[in-house]
Amino acid sequence: MMSQAEDRRQSLPQKIGIAVVLGGLGALTGYGMAQIFKDEGAPWPDVLAMAMAVALIAVGLLSAAVMATRPSSVPKGCGILQVVVFLLAGVMLLAPMYAPALATPDVVFGGIVVLLAIQTVANVLLWRRADEMLRQVMADTSVMAFWALQTALFLYAAAERLGLIETISGWGLTGILMAVYLLASIVASARRGIT
Amino acid sequence: MNNRLKVLRAERNWSQADLAAALGVSRQTVNALETGRYDPSLPLAFKIARVFSQPIESIFSDTGA
Repeated sequence: MMSQAEDRRQSLPQKIGIAVVLGGLGALTGYGMAQIFKDEGAPWPDVLAMAMAVALIAVGLLSAAVMATRPSSVPKGCGILQVVVFLLAGVMLLAPMYAPALATPDVVFGGIVVLLAIQTVANVLLWRRADEMLRQVMADTSVMAFWALQTALFLYAAAERLGLIETISGWGLTGILMAVYLLASIVASARRGIT
Repeated sequence: MNNRLKVLRAERNWSQADLAAALGVSRQTVNALETGRYDPSLPLAFKIARVFSQPIESIFSDTGA
């Protein structure tokens, strides 16, 4: 049953390929973010949403690269599902800002609803197919994000009710939510040694 | 909790991927188990014991290894 193989080591071409992909992603990310911050007219919710979208797409592409160079058959299908979830999350954050240049708002919104439905199915499948540690990481992420966000929401709501701060749009709150969730997932993964 | 997974795996010359496949978990999960970053559920602990043909208490302990 066991192959009795040594732990897989990456060959030099594989390492070079990974370095090239990572370098390219880093360069693209840096260029994209520089373009956004250079545009002084961009409101902060759009800048934040763009940053989150770029981060999610970068993680998705990185996951795809890792999956291609170091395939794992267990748990079955989890790798591709994670890539789909990350990429769709990034695209859904970009769509409200850039898709209206290509289609009417109602068509864009319909497309976002379809993408969200697909991502929800992918998320459910990911939960069902994941092994127990990956599920624990997902649960830890949810707990950390919920605690941080409900605390922040209460403080924000109280300050807003008191007239101490300006109202933040739903789009701005969504960007903050995604940032907190991404940070929580990084912390939860790092605690289990997943980097 | 401490465990002897890495030693038992090395004795059999299995890779982390081999053990992961035998247990039906990811290689990252095996790595987290070996480094003490994750404690397995009872069903997974029993599965590990079966794979190594050893009682659970000889693999896992709550004292210093």
